[in-house]
Amino acid sequence: MAFQKSLAHSASAQTGESRSEGLGSAKRKKAFWLTTMMLPGAIWLLLIRYLPMFGIVIAFKDYRAFRPNTFWNNIVKSEFVGLKNFEFLKSPDTLIMIRNTLGYNLLWIALGLVISVTFAIMMSEVSNQLLAKTYQTLMFFPYFLSWVVASYFVLAFLDPTSGMIPAMQKAAGLKVTNFYHDTTWWPLILTICNLWKNVGYSSMLYLSAITGIDTTQYEAAAVDGASKWQQIWYVTLPNIRTMMIILLIMNIGKIFNADFGLFYNVPQNSGSLYPVTQVVDTYVYRAYANTHNLGMSSAAGFLQSAVGLVCIVGANSIVRRIDPDSSLF
Amino acid sequence: MMSAVSKTRRRSMQMNRFGPGAQALFHIVLGLFSLLCILPFIFVVIISFSSEDSIRAIGYSFHPLSWSLQAYEYTLRLGDQLWRSYFNSFLITLIGTVLSVAICVLYAYPLFRKDYRLRGFFNFLSFFTMIFGGGLVPTYVICKSVLGLSDNYAALIVPMLFSPFNVIVMRTFFQTTVPPDLIEAATIDGSGEYGTLPRIVLPVVTPGIATIALLNALGYWNEWFLSLLYINKNMSIIPLQYLLMRMQRNADFLAKNASMLGADASRAALELPSQTLKMALVVFIVVPIACAYPFFQRYVVAGLTVGSVKG
Amino acid sequence: MKKILSIMLALAMALSLCSFSQAADLPVITILFHGSNVSDDTAVLERVNEYIADKVGAKLEVVWGTWGDFDDKATNALTTADSDIDMVFTCSWSADEYNSFAKKGYFVKLDDLIEEYGADLKAAIPESLMQAATIEGAEGKGIYAVNGFKDTATQNTWDVNVTLLSELGYTLEDVKNLGFYGFGEIFAKAKELKGDSFYPFLVEPMVAERMVTNSIIIAGDAGSVNLLSLYLNPDDVSAEGAYGNTILNKFATPEYAAFVEKMHEYYEAGYINPALAVAETSNDTRTNAQLTGDYLIGTQSYAYGYEYAADVLSRGIEVAFVPCTDAYVDTTASQGAMVAINSASNHVEESFKFLALLNSDPTLMTLLNYGVEGIHYTLDEDGLVVFDETARSTYSPWTNGMGNVTILPDTQSEGKGFREAFKAYYAGAKAIPALGYVFDNSEVANQMAALSNVAAQYALALDCGAIDPATELPKFLEALDAAGMQAYLDAANAQLDNYLSK
Repeated sequence: MAFQKSLAHSASAQTGESRSEGLGSAKRKKAFWLTTMMLPGAIWLLLIRYLPMFGIVIAFKDYRAFRPNTFWNNIVKSEFVGLKNFEFLKSPDTLIMIRNTLGYNLLWIALGLVISVTFAIMMSEVSNQLLAKTYQTLMFFPYFLSWVVASYFVLAFLDPTSGMIPAMQKAAGLKVTNFYHDTTWWPLILTICNLWKNVGYSSMLYLSAITGIDTTQYEAAAVDGASKWQQIWYVTLPNIRTMMIILLIMNIGKIFNADFGLFYNVPQNSGSLYPVTQVVDTYVYRAYANTHNLGMSSAAGFLQSAVGLVCIVGANSIVRRIDPDSSLF
Repeated sequence: MMSAVSKTRRRSMQMNRFGPGAQALFHIVLGLFSLLCILPFIFVVIISFSSEDSIRAIGYSFHPLSWSLQAYEYTLRLGDQLWRSYFNSFLITLIGTVLSVAICVLYAYPLFRKDYRLRGFFNFLSFFTMIFGGGLVPTYVICKSVLGLSDNYAALIVPMLFSPFNVIVMRTFFQTTVPPDLIEAATIDGSGEYGTLPRIVLPVVTPGIATIALLNALGYWNEWFLSLLYINKNMSIIPLQYLLMRMQRNADFLAKNASMLGADASRAALELPSQTLKMALVVFIVVPIACAYPFFQRYVVAGLTVGSVKG
Repeated sequence: MKKILSIMLALAMALSLCSFSQAADLPVITILFHGSNVSDDTAVLERVNEYIADKVGAKLEVVWGTWGDFDDKATNALTTADSDIDMVFTCSWSADEYNSFAKKGYFVKLDDLIEEYGADLKAAIPESLMQAATIEGAEGKGIYAVNGFKDTATQNTWDVNVTLLSELGYTLEDVKNLGFYGFGEIFAKAKELKGDSFYPFLVEPMVAERMVTNSIIIAGDAGSVNLLSLYLNPDDVSAEGAYGNTILNKFATPEYAAFVEKMHEYYEAGYINPALAVAETSNDTRTNAQLTGDYLIGTQSYAYGYEYAADVLSRGIEVAFVPCTDAYVDTTASQGAMVAINSASNHVEESFKFLALLNSDPTLMTLLNYGVEGIHYTLDEDGLVVFDETARSTYSPWTNGMGNVTILPDTQSEGKGFREAFKAYYAGAKAIPALGYVFDNSEVANQMAALSNVAAQYALALDCGAIDPATELPKFLEALDAAGMQAYLDAANAQLDNYLSK
């Protein structure tokens, strides 16, 4: 194969030389056709993503209606209030919600990466194809169920009156844990729920990356006497490295965002659990439910985006220095 | 021919497997996790067949006191609305998936081409919107007043046509599975860009396309918020998921505002669909997409054979 | 395949555009309602449009908002200045809160329109409701919504399972005399009789708190968990309460401390279902137990005639409602259901004419509420409305959210003369001294954001007795102080003083 490669290279080099005068126009033609491919997506992006971005100014304005009452007129005429909409961050709860948001995200990014890659490799190595397919299908199920539905499932275990665990505790003569008022177990419960929901999804991404690996690489490694473990280390992992890094960077970009339903529905919105369940999204939601302050929710969204951008650009520039091929941009 | 190749390939792969000990470990780990994943759905199915009395008495349980088909009878009595919403869900998912996969592949392909000079620009154009957006309200204004997305199917499809995340995933698939020589070779053969992509490149990235298609299909199938935003009068086009979410949100609202609505809240609670009905609807929503999954999966696994042709 | 699909998509778009351009001669006015359960309105709207064509000069379309999606639809339509929605439900507790949205300029000031076209409306709606809707809005003091005539006074009651009560050897008099702090002995007996898994005290914790401490809701305070309170004089609701016209942090009063201590005692004794103390399970649990009669004493915000409502009659037990105080008119109740005109509307005049007609014309109100006679209901020999259950299941709007319910005919389950008695009951209700006061929280919105989060953390669990007030209440009060309670309170009191001095 290496031979084929070099052959192709020399062939292209030759044609390049022989047709050097037509090269510029060919290149331009190629660029033109490739650009036309991007047009549908680019037009969509401009219309539906970029055009509405003027709305970001709402985060810095006291938005209200003027006469004549049109959206554009209201945005223009609304008073500019600087950073006033961001003052919700002055709350004493701010540190807790930031700690929770960042802490859970970092933990879950690390755990999620290790577990989904492990599962993907296991599935690709399982010799029984039927079972492998079955696992893959079943693991995908949580992705279909909303957090509301999942919260009923958790409730069936933890409900103080009829839940399975309190019932078992009662039967064993132990003190019954009132889960919805006891913060002890929630970091663990939330972690399990998060992995349960997302591992199937991301391991599918990794699995399809693994199936795309050129199998001759394994054969070559086997010929060289590599054990299966070594093959995974030297063939599989390097081949899915790009996917791992890309997903990692993208997750880091969402480090200041939390999965609302997980933190709101699964703990049944129980106030006593806020010290371990309050995250930026739930805090803003609860505040918005009372104030209906468009400026504040825009400000919170802007803040999440800004933090995400900083993190993602940072992570990407580190990656670019180490492994330029895997960087996001 | 493909299947013959894949058979030999599989045989050679099988010689090169982990031993029985490791295999057993894999099965235990994957099996247990899979069980954990399917259990809640089984739970949902059991609740949907539980009697209301049982739920009132002992809550949700794997062993209800008594069984009942009531929820499904009621679901079927939704009649028209149910089947129409079902049809809408299928239509939206089908059209949405086909269009969004096409747009995604067309956008991701030039991004992967190292010889395309504008890739940096277009890459950033897409990536930036993953992080920054104008927010819900301005987006709604543009979609409705500029693009006319209101009370029509387009309103349920167009806002989700493009996903920067999927573009990046697709680009990564191109990067990891398509050797650059392949394209060079095709170019030398005189193949134009619009010829190279479907004839030479796409067959190689089938697992990637299947994955993207699955992600898009799931996105469309599960989507309900667009219906809430853009559908006001034309209720005949709402998808099934919205039907379910509306019930859910009604219950949530009444719970939060019970003390404000007073007697009205108690009366309204009577009209709410039962928990069993909601679970029955969850079953209705999950089953079709779960059945479609093996279809996508076949293409993901088909990647094995494609890989062998490549070698 | 792809081509076919894209053609289909284009067709769908084209078709939907056509349906818009198919405008009749009359302008279309659109109203967004709350809490409806309507899947088929064709028959009703056909007749409505026949009826209003001359009187209003417009064609009506309705967006049937449901409980769950109204808030999003309404705030979306108003903040985006969507001229396709001409009229929208509003009140003191919905997301498009009347006072703040009027202040921000989203609603049309109606005073001139009322002068010109509102004679019938003024005759149909009591003066007090007009006053309750008169507020300081974007265009100065005036009326920014048509206030519906419904149960316009607040009254909280103990919801008593009389069947079980007499089984235990008690009477309703005993419930009145023992009061909240004396319920313990009845609960103990009930628990003895019905076993360990029976929870006699079925509270909506926030309502119980208001009943026991005589606190009332301040309009404009955090909606989900109230922080502030004025105090009612339980013997005469129109007189000043124990703390005069001063707004207090309701969690810092001795009344509150006593209440949560007692609740904790009841909770520990097993009289209260623990599920009531968790926000998302609380209401489901309570509603279920209430509807099956599985309780001894509960709480209920009462509306006249509630004894005869279907959900009470179907409980399988005898139910009585024991009030704590007389019904009182406060700002929240008197702004309980209104309809405003979107200031982005292009058909303000037609919209107002329609609202005036809806609130004063029994034919239109009945048609839009009860549906078409012969399809959705029939009249019995006494002229009472009998609903056709099947047809009604496809068309049941939220009556109280629509407007003047007193011009509707009586239904068979309510009985003859119900509306008259209903009107008399609420006409006789006394107003609290601070009626009309609304807290404008915009200057302390950030404190409110923090405070509402703190309150959501503690209030429900404390109100329900699930956590020990000895240790948790001080923590709660400290957290409230840290989140800016004093500034919030000062702002509220300054505004109240200002309001009362006018």
